[in-house]
Amino acid sequence: MKNDNIHVKRPLGRKLLFWIGAPLLLVYVIVILFTYYWSGKNALYQMKEYLFELTEHHACMLDGTFSRVSQASVGIADAMGILPTPENDQLIALMEKKLKDNKNIFGMAIAFEPYYYRKNVKLFSPYVSRSGDKIQSSNLADSYNYLYQDWYLIPQLLGTSYWGEPYFDEGGGNILMATYSQPIYRNDMFIGISTADISLEYLETEMSNIRIMAGYTFIITRTGTFIYHPEEEYMMNESIFSLAEQYDQLELRTIGKKMIAGERGMATIDDFFTGEKKWLVYSPIKECDWSFAAVIPEKEIMKTVNSMVIKQIAIMIIGLLIILLVIIWAAVGITNPIRKLVISADRIAKGDLNEKIVGIKGHDEIHQLVKAFNKMTYDLKHYIQDLTKATKAREAVESELRIARSIQESLLPRIFPPFPDKEEFDLYARNIPAKEVAGDFFDFFMLDEEHIAVIIADVSGKGVSAGLFMAVTRTLIKTVCDLKIGPAASLERANYVLCQDNDACMFTTLFLAFYNIKTGHMTWANAGHDEPIVAAPNGSIRKLVTFKDIALGIDDSHTYHEGVTTLDKGEIIVLYTDGVIEATSPEKELYGEKRFIEKIGEIADKPIITIINEITKDLDGFQLDNQFDDITILILKREK
Amino acid sequence: MVQWFPQAQFAGYIMAMEKGFYEDENMHVTIKFSDGADSPLQEVLDKRVDFCTGWLSQAIMLRSENKPIINISQILQQSSLILVAKKSSGIATPQDMKDKRISNWGGDFSIQPTAFFRKADIDVNIIPQSFRIDGFLMGAIDVTSAMYYNEYHKILQAGIDEDELVTFFFSDYDLNFPEDGIYCLEETCNANPILCRNFVHASLKGWEYAFQHKEETLDVVMKYCRQYHMQTNRSHQEWMLNAIESALKYRVGDTITNWGTLSKKDYETVADELLKQDLIQSIPSYNDFYKDVLHEK
Repeated sequence: MKNDNIHVKRPLGRKLLFWIGAPLLLVYVIVILFTYYWSGKNALYQMKEYLFELTEHHACMLDGTFSRVSQASVGIADAMGILPTPENDQLIALMEKKLKDNKNIFGMAIAFEPYYYRKNVKLFSPYVSRSGDKIQSSNLADSYNYLYQDWYLIPQLLGTSYWGEPYFDEGGGNILMATYSQPIYRNDMFIGISTADISLEYLETEMSNIRIMAGYTFIITRTGTFIYHPEEEYMMNESIFSLAEQYDQLELRTIGKKMIAGERGMATIDDFFTGEKKWLVYSPIKECDWSFAAVIPEKEIMKTVNSMVIKQIAIMIIGLLIILLVIIWAAVGITNPIRKLVISADRIAKGDLNEKIVGIKGHDEIHQLVKAFNKMTYDLKHYIQDLTKATKAREAVESELRIARSIQESLLPRIFPPFPDKEEFDLYARNIPAKEVAGDFFDFFMLDEEHIAVIIADVSGKGVSAGLFMAVTRTLIKTVCDLKIGPAASLERANYVLCQDNDACMFTTLFLAFYNIKTGHMTWANAGHDEPIVAAPNGSIRKLVTFKDIALGIDDSHTYHEGVTTLDKGEIIVLYTDGVIEATSPEKELYGEKRFIEKIGEIADKPIITIINEITKDLDGFQLDNQFDDITILILKREK
Repeated sequence: MVQWFPQAQFAGYIMAMEKGFYEDENMHVTIKFSDGADSPLQEVLDKRVDFCTGWLSQAIMLRSENKPIINISQILQQSSLILVAKKSSGIATPQDMKDKRISNWGGDFSIQPTAFFRKADIDVNIIPQSFRIDGFLMGAIDVTSAMYYNEYHKILQAGIDEDELVTFFFSDYDLNFPEDGIYCLEETCNANPILCRNFVHASLKGWEYAFQHKEETLDVVMKYCRQYHMQTNRSHQEWMLNAIESALKYRVGDTITNWGTLSKKDYETVADELLKQDLIQSIPSYNDFYKDVLHEK
């Protein structure tokens, strides 16, 4: 089973991304803000320059057109000032030629001072003008007294050329027209005016074709009057000053004054109706002292400016994304092997030692780690193989020990009460081995109808060797016990046999008692074993004081002593091995004889099985899982 | 018939017509606008129109020639004719105009200036003036005649500020010539004085309405201006309406209680000056010339 999904609370990749990406992002944001500020300013400056240039360009184009018209008039005035005055048809032909050469000229006239042209003609003014595709001619003097017309009077008074305010030419199909007047001097004497008319109709078409962003353009004359404005109603009706007045915009009047003064400039105005901020860029049409202006909504300008800035910022953001991608790529390069390691380690932990990490390239630390990891897995696998072999071997031994133990257990009496038909006494014993095979043992058997032999022993050492020695001793004791010779002599016999060929130098402590079940009389011998305790039901305790006889298997010539005691009815005798009083708590305290005796005293009147249960329970509670020596207890009770 | 193309100068009559004030008096009135060539007073004399507006000076001159024309109401009390100069030309007093180029319209418009220069005792270089102000703006003219309600404001609308200008109101020089009045033939008035009274009454009501509803009035005036292809704009007409209101309601230095009446003093001022300039041989009787149709019983 594979489970490759590993859940990591704070993945390394994300950490890398955070610790590298976040400062980078911060730096970028600062840079972007600066860029936005500076390039915004720069773009705005460039935009201003661009708009200035554009308006200037258009103003110059118009200027050129007007100049070419005025130059035609100047040419004629110059000629009139020098040459002898030509005949009427020559004058007409001259002006017709100019009209043919310049399609912007609508009409031309030469108007003379009274009686100048002919002594008998007061007013004379040949005039040519377009009529459809044709050019027609007439004498203006036939229509009106031109002397007090602005186009005649003003340049005469000023002594300079003059572009008149535009007007609707009623004769020529109500076309919007402007007239250039050039005074003619001969020998410093004013002799008349040469004029050239320009039709402003073309302006409308030309101007409406000019696109400056989403704005519009307009032209005002030197009086501020609109002669081109997309709002047709404004043309010739409104002036920049009338609008300023109507919409109560003082600034507009100030701007207007600058415009008619021939300045170039830029200003912001509020739309009369929407209040929207707009830029007004203006440039003079020098030839006629008019002013050309472009009006562009600020939002359009800012849109363009912003798009320039946004482009720059977009490039920076793309750069940032690339860097972040590189970080992610690097992070993945680092974390992927680590993830693989984690997954592999997980599998190894689950026991799959065939796991090997492959596909990690490079010669970096990660690669070394992978190599080390794979080596570790390999080593672990072999170690575990070895360990398995060793374990198998040990299991074999353990199994034999278990067999030994069961054999040993079968050697100990297991049925309690052992003599249910004997009402004179009760007997109960328990052996709790520390190791599989115990060195302690107990035994009892009837010697005749009235006497029972009771044995408790503790073989030196533990385990199999102790178990074997115990088996030998037990069998031997059973064989040597003889009521006639008493327990001490029986022990001497057994001691003698055990001492023979005892190459292993094993020995055993042993207590042997012959008990008369009728009388409660007991004879006993003790080969170095703990002194048994006799307890009355009232809790009074006495010990069977021994004679310091040595353990069996040490000295084949030792003489054992015999002790005598009598159990009163209800009294119990407790035999036990040193595993009881030497039981040790995890805190290294000994259970001790005192506590043992007190415990027995407390419960001496209870059934003996209860007493053994209580004591083992108390011992368990004391040493917990700390048992390191066999524990054996045997209790004999004289029934009432 | 009024003396010029549609403009706020005639707002009262236009509004009286538009709002049906003439109809209320059981009259059907159409306004004929002059193109500048026809004289409304002559049109009345020629019986082509019943009523007209006209300048007091011109009417007195006609009357002195025994033309049967009478004034039935004097609408504009205060003269709006002024002289304007740029401060930059160095003109501050009438005497400063000596030998300067001064443009003047002819006819009625030249009477006050002539008197003015005579009073100032200066010779000036009078140049015929067109209906445009270009000559003045260009500096070809030093002093120009202007109607306060019209040309003066046009100069302002050409980007010259009031504080850059010097103005001379003739009314400040004992030359207050009341201008627009309502005229008709004597026989019309004799035959039907009620009609005359109703006409004047409705006209004054029109004026009253115009001053009380200026925005509406300007809408209407502009409508007429566009219809007649006048090169004008709303703010200009607004100025004109306000200036006319002041010329109609006030006389030099005071207010007037009875609108539309011709003061005998004003009449005499004008007539005396006409006599001085030999424009009339004798002063027509004030009572023959003026019929206060509103207040006569």
